[in-house]
Amino acid sequence: MKALRIAAQLALYAPLMAILAYFSTEPRFSAVAPDEALLRVSVIHATQRKEACRERSPEELAKLAPNMRAALDCPRERSPLVVELELDGRTVLRREVAPSGLRRDGNAALYQRIALPAGRHRIVARLRDRADGDFNYLKDETVELGAGRVLLIDFNASQGGFVFRG
Amino acid sequence: MKVEALFNLAFGDKGNPLYYIGPISYYLMWLIVASGLYLYAFFETSVAGASASVDALTYGQPWAGGVLRSVHRYASDGVVLTMLLHMARHWAFDHYRGFRWFSWVSGLVLLWLVYVAGINGYMLPWDRLAKFTVIATAEWLDWLPVFNGTLVRNFIFEENVNDRLFSLLSFIHIGVPLAVLALLWIHTQRVPQARTSPPLPIMLTLTVALIVLSILRPAVSQPDSGLEMSFDWFYLPVLALLYRWAPGEVWLLVGAATVIFFLLPWLPPKRRGSERYMLVRPDNRIVAVRAGETLLDAGLREGIALPFDCRNGGCGECKATLRSGTVDFGPYQPGVLSATERAGGTILPCVCMPREDVELEYVPATAPGAAAAHVWRASVESMQSLAPDVMQVILKLEGGERIAFYAGQYINILLEDGAKRSFSFATAPSVNDRIELHVRRIPGGRFTTHVFEGMRAGERVRFEGPLGSFFLREDSEKPMIFVAGSTGFAPVKSMLEYAFSRGVKRRMILYWGVRRPADLYLGELPAKWAREHANFDFVPVISHPAPEDAWHGRTGLVHEAILADFGDLSGYQVYACGSAAMVEAAHPAFKAKGLGQDDCFSDAFRLAPRPAPEMVRLGGTA
Repeated sequence: MKALRIAAQLALYAPLMAILAYFSTEPRFSAVAPDEALLRVSVIHATQRKEACRERSPEELAKLAPNMRAALDCPRERSPLVVELELDGRTVLRREVAPSGLRRDGNAALYQRIALPAGRHRIVARLRDRADGDFNYLKDETVELGAGRVLLIDFNASQGGFVFRG
Repeated sequence: MKVEALFNLAFGDKGNPLYYIGPISYYLMWLIVASGLYLYAFFETSVAGASASVDALTYGQPWAGGVLRSVHRYASDGVVLTMLLHMARHWAFDHYRGFRWFSWVSGLVLLWLVYVAGINGYMLPWDRLAKFTVIATAEWLDWLPVFNGTLVRNFIFEENVNDRLFSLLSFIHIGVPLAVLALLWIHTQRVPQARTSPPLPIMLTLTVALIVLSILRPAVSQPDSGLEMSFDWFYLPVLALLYRWAPGEVWLLVGAATVIFFLLPWLPPKRRGSERYMLVRPDNRIVAVRAGETLLDAGLREGIALPFDCRNGGCGECKATLRSGTVDFGPYQPGVLSATERAGGTILPCVCMPREDVELEYVPATAPGAAAAHVWRASVESMQSLAPDVMQVILKLEGGERIAFYAGQYINILLEDGAKRSFSFATAPSVNDRIELHVRRIPGGRFTTHVFEGMRAGERVRFEGPLGSFFLREDSEKPMIFVAGSTGFAPVKSMLEYAFSRGVKRRMILYWGVRRPADLYLGELPAKWAREHANFDFVPVISHPAPEDAWHGRTGLVHEAILADFGDLSGYQVYACGSAAMVEAAHPAFKAKGLGQDDCFSDAFRLAPRPAPEMVRLGGTA
């Protein structure tokens, strides 16, 4: 009877342990479909000032406290950041992001994850960081992306703009 | 219940793990802490070392670090599973409303904290799953305006990941579980005498099962590139959902689910319920049973040593006898309470809830005295002689404590040799920082002689209480006759002051019997009440008047005066307090005059408490 009871206990523990074993690893998860790759677009950038700096006149400077007499009067607000991504001629991302901060004088940031079929793709990335005019940064490149691969699209103005990192 | 019955067959009534789901969660937490401490000793908090040190644990010492890593993983998954089962069970049995809201809400917070700790734990091995977990968590948080896409940059660009990250992750992985343990303690403190560990056989079998599982299917790291991976569905389903839904939608789902679960205790359908009272014998104590509370929980909350084990109607350890009232028997295994037992009044207090005020009798499993009421310390604040043989003693509770009691209950003064002397509260319960006692001198009495000859203000005393079931019943409209013999006036004074303060409109008559008029030590007080309250009358009765007393009032034995005044007592309630001889003489005489068994309440003086349940129903003795 005791052996039977032990066997019954094992029989009831086994499914519990099986549940733990199975769901702690299975079913397997994939962030994208098996035949897909992933783009991660991440941009953080201090855009240009919305209005240009102005030189203060001698009269204006005289009215300021001696320690506040900066020659240039620069409005703090920065321009919105506009980012556009084109994949094989099709626009897959277009975002306009306001700079951070109460005065809109901080960095503008955006992050976007885009799944795309594995294979060869022409990717065009554009960015505008000024109030008016056309995009002032552009990168046009054809890349080969295998299934399950990740392409990072970063932006660094000091390095000339967009950086594609496979 | 059917699943529980199946487990009962295999594990026995007392070893069924389903009855200890909460304690099992607790135990698994300790397993996680113990295995985690070992793993942490070998873990390197650096970019280069994190993954390598975990692999070294897994493959370099497979029978120690490898097994413990797997135990750590599976015990963590087990915690989630048992917590969800624990919640589901309380939800299914409607044990999450009313006073249980705190346990429910703190349990939810615990669940979230466990999730935080678990997800954080998956970041440490810095393998493929760790990187996915870190990035997905950052992506999810980045949806919040405060981060707005900046957080994830720390993890998607490898040059941004540095050793400090692993120090931070380790710090969180130690800190959050500590918070979990602290909150677990608070969570269980709200349940009277809650078990925080399962029975030893369950601990052993569970540990062995986890070790076997760890050996058969060890937890291992995954190569660090690729987007497809083995996945822990106990902890990470939200992160998986993040790759199917937009982050805002996942926030909405999680936020809405959290809010709904938090509000569940207050959401309909609400089951009706109200506070009831339970008289527990042999303790002779009355305790309130809150709406939705089991009789066992109510008793344990008040310190009554009711026997119990599984607390789920599965072992029958808590069996007790229902002496009066009706209950909802609750869910239990038919094997532990037969129909015959149930018909005979046997109940399982661990799952029973009262439908009305009930009287419960149980067989104490511990030595007499273990079920003692709370012991207090007080000092004598003042003393006043009310009559040649009656002393008013005012006790002041130490430490600014306050005592809650029912008008009519009593305390036991604890003497140095363990002897007890019973005295009734003489004030209404609203006076709770000090206690008024009326002590009558008993010739040759050790304690009462000391009160009259040796006791001084400032003397410290110990007492236990409140005790007794002699208290005012407010669930009746019947007029009340109070019968006081000598210092039996004390509890009656407490009841009447309480009744006046409550604005009770029922007719109340006090018959106070003493030997001589001078023994009416506070006689002016009931006379004053009679002048102030139209529904109250006072009838002093003198048993041995002397000619020099010039007494023109009622004479004879006090209960005989009542018998003379009332031809039929069937429409009255009688509260009698005095000597045992008085009460025992009065009770059959009142019954003969039609007084109902359930309308007679008494408190008879004796040196020490001695139950006499045959004398009165719901009546107390002292």
